[in-house]
Amino acid sequence: MRAKIFDIQRNSFVDGPGIRTTVFLKGCNLNCKWCHNPESQLPKTQLLFYQSKCVSCGRCKEVCPHALKTCEWCGRCAVQCPTGAREVCGKEYTVEEVFCEVAKDRIFYQTSGGGVTFSGGECMLQIEFLREILKKCKEQGIHTAVDTAGDVPWEYFEKIMSVTDLFLYDIKCFSDNLHREGTGNSNELILQNLQKLSEQFSGDVIIRVPVIGGFNDREEELKQIATFVKKLRYKKTELLPYHEMGNYKYEALGRQYTSYYVPRQEEMEKYRTFF
Amino acid sequence: MEFYTSSKYKRPIRLDEKTREFAYESLHCKYGRDTRKVPYVSLKHIAGYETMSALDQYNCAILEIAKTAPIRICEGELVSGAATLGDAIGHNVPARFDDTREEMRSVSHLTVDFFEVLEIGMDGIRAKAEEAFKKHVDPEKKAFIKSCIHCIECMEIWHNRYVEALKEKTGFETVLENLKTVPFRPARNFYEAVQSIWCCFAFLRLCGNWPGIGRIDVLLGHYLKADLECGKLTLEEAREILAHFFIKGCEWITGESCVSGDAQHYQNIILAGINECGHEVTNEVTYLVLDIIEETGISDFPVTVRINKNTEEKLLRRVAEVIRFGGGVVAVYNEDLVLESLADMGYPQEEARKFANDGCWEVQIPGKTNFSYVPFDGLKILQHVTLKDYDKTLDFEDFETLFEQYKKDLREQIEMIYRQRVLEKLQEDNVHFKTATPCTVVALFEQSCIERGISYHEGGTVYNVISPHIGGLPDVANSLYAIKKAVFDEKIVSFKRFMKILKENWENEELLRKHILNHYQYYGNDNDEVDFIAAEILDDFSDMCRKYDKETPIRFVSGVSTFGRQVDWAPMRLAAPFGRKSGEVLSGNLSPTPGTDTSGAAAIIQSYCKADLKKQHTGAALDIGFIPSNIDSDNAISAIVGLIKGFVRLGGYFMQMDTVDRATLIEAQKNPANYQNLSVRVSGWNARFVTMSKEWQDMIIEKTEK
Ligand code: SF4
Ligand code: SF4
Repeated sequence: MRAKIFDIQRNSFVDGPGIRTTVFLKGCNLNCKWCHNPESQLPKTQLLFYQSKCVSCGRCKEVCPHALKTCEWCGRCAVQCPTGAREVCGKEYTVEEVFCEVAKDRIFYQTSGGGVTFSGGECMLQIEFLREILKKCKEQGIHTAVDTAGDVPWEYFEKIMSVTDLFLYDIKCFSDNLHREGTGNSNELILQNLQKLSEQFSGDVIIRVPVIGGFNDREEELKQIATFVKKLRYKKTELLPYHEMGNYKYEALGRQYTSYYVPRQEEMEKYRTFF
Repeated sequence: MEFYTSSKYKRPIRLDEKTREFAYESLHCKYGRDTRKVPYVSLKHIAGYETMSALDQYNCAILEIAKTAPIRICEGELVSGAATLGDAIGHNVPARFDDTREEMRSVSHLTVDFFEVLEIGMDGIRAKAEEAFKKHVDPEKKAFIKSCIHCIECMEIWHNRYVEALKEKTGFETVLENLKTVPFRPARNFYEAVQSIWCCFAFLRLCGNWPGIGRIDVLLGHYLKADLECGKLTLEEAREILAHFFIKGCEWITGESCVSGDAQHYQNIILAGINECGHEVTNEVTYLVLDIIEETGISDFPVTVRINKNTEEKLLRRVAEVIRFGGGVVAVYNEDLVLESLADMGYPQEEARKFANDGCWEVQIPGKTNFSYVPFDGLKILQHVTLKDYDKTLDFEDFETLFEQYKKDLREQIEMIYRQRVLEKLQEDNVHFKTATPCTVVALFEQSCIERGISYHEGGTVYNVISPHIGGLPDVANSLYAIKKAVFDEKIVSFKRFMKILKENWENEELLRKHILNHYQYYGNDNDEVDFIAAEILDDFSDMCRKYDKETPIRFVSGVSTFGRQVDWAPMRLAAPFGRKSGEVLSGNLSPTPGTDTSGAAAIIQSYCKADLKKQHTGAALDIGFIPSNIDSDNAISAIVGLIKGFVRLGGYFMQMDTVDRATLIEAQKNPANYQNLSVRVSGWNARFVTMSKEWQDMIIEKTEK
């Protein structure tokens, strides 16, 4: 069994407790306009091209079977490119291979209360793989976290609940219309799943709300999320301010990005009081 | 009034407003500039000075310093005594016969013993010296012991000048009261103990020396405990008193860098760890020191905390909290490994457990050790000796032959150091290292000099250690690895051609250079292939030194360091095979070469710990940098604690963690190749700083400034 993975980052302090290794699975079923990992959205392998690093040596063209006219993501150009301007994004991994990477920092998970986090994209779309790797990590005593937007069939949660210690669960907005506008999908299933999770999952959930200036940074909207969340039995909600640091990746993909505002610190402070 | 930090968190406020002001002024060079004003005392008027023996000249100098050095009493200070002569800042005895040049060098790289003076006072030490004077018959020894008694008398003269000056002022009643007892008589409480150590430390420094303080929590902990128990003192009062000690210690901050380029005077402090009986020593003083550093950011007393497998969680978290404010002030020792290493060297257990360090982090037994190290550039040996400055006729059949050749060349270097530094030093006389510069003041605080009647530099101390220190080791491993990959494994370039390319500093070979730079994983990424090259060299290096250890009374063991030397070495180095051009600043200590570590701190620690570091008997340091925004979360404390504990479990030696400041980010923007490792993290999002476009980099820089 294999999964498409676009990055494995060791030494993360921001994707759950302690020191973590974060495994980014490729492919997402939402289409958030503000996505800061746009290279994660499509399930297929893609080629990233960092214009600013290219020295126009022409090596990539020499080795490309299609002279760069089309791309089959064979990765030859990335191997040849001396400057790292070309990067193949998305590689197949087996459960064993991922585990091998994850196990490297095991000692630091123990010393810091950390573990592994699966993120994306929407990592739950590759649910069978996810279940296997979570099971493997769990068996080996590694704390497991799943970072999800929750827009997947409830059965998927059922499949991994017993091997997951923590969900990092994103809520982007409460009103359905707004959700459709920003992500392309309804949020009905997302809220339902979270409700059910709260009733049936005995582990921990951290709810994460991205605050996107010009999209969901309205008091009414955030208060509604807060009301909903407060009814659940989870204590921790994190508000994450939008940042523009993903925009350069849009350039590398040859895509346009939509501009939003970065909420001001005082605003963030105020919003946090709602929760 | 705020004390700088690169963190978004504000430094806590615990100290009195006046104390904070005092700290602020001191940190902003007020007293350092004052110290510069009078650089030295003149010896010109002393009749017959030029024909005197070196020891007599020294005695004259110390007397003159004691009699005429300016007195400085700062408003509101809680401890008195000051090192007010400018030449001392430059590592000299601040007394000159000829105005145009410094007369005598002073002593550094040692932690002296302050336990004795607390217990028996300078009067007790004087009595000890008088005793020794009676016992010895050798005129040289008698002269030295007489010099010890003379220096104590000088200290008394200087001390009396402070007492008289304080009498003239109001508001110094308690200080005056304390000075009536200490440092000449034993300290009876915490406040007196602080004043006693300060007086001795200040006098040592006034005479030009740069000693470390050592285990301050062991020195002071029991005094504080007793005072708190009987209600004589509150914790808050104790913090103020101790803060003044630290603030006074900034009296040499001038805003200019000094000889070592780092504006440090090696006044090291050690916290926590076990005592001679194996009990943990952590006490209130340990935490007070951390409080003071956290609040003021004073970096003039580099603090190293001895961490072991049983260190309490509370202390680890406090250390992590202070580290997060940046400045790299607080570092950690893996006490378990250091003790193993000292045992391996043959120190008795109780003795080993007393360890502190010298000026930097080379481990030594305080008050008993004369230590010096001989730094050399390991990369230069590879370039200059093994690869003969990239001679184009040179060829190696396979990697193993090359590797063996390097180790052979390294062995010759060690042999040469042994011959030049140890054998030649011992030649004149087999026991004493003669003709050393006098430095009697230091001997007062060393445990065996007085009894033996032999000065600090002449072998009077219990332990004498000379340690070759290899520098640039990660660069050597990376270089060998790059040759292995490119020439022998992937065969993308022949050995001969590669030599030519390196000789020409990669000219017209930018693509090959970039390929080698970008496609291999170098030391610091937890890549066994390269890490084991480094580990193997270190192992052999240690064995090479041990071969000569114990051949003479001088111990000869290995260590790893560059301190700032990688900067000085840069212009002398040729292009390095792993994609670096000549003149680039490469790795410091045992840390990854800047720009090669892309996998985060945990991976760096893993790489570093693959070598058997207990075999580096005088130490091997690792430096790790964080971008402030990455550690500005509550979780970061657990993460830093986790890194420290992992470092201990994996067998690290010494580690310093710091936050990367704005200037570094700007530098990274200019020279991205050197900063591949700077990663910027926000929940769920990741990027390496150098892959971002300029605008986004600018934005991060902006964020960091706040
Ligand atoms: S990945 Fe392969 S097909 Fe695509 S551009 Fe590169 S070389 Fe050509
Ligand atoms: S190989 Fe790399 S540097 Fe050369 S032209 Fe292609 S993308 Fe640019």
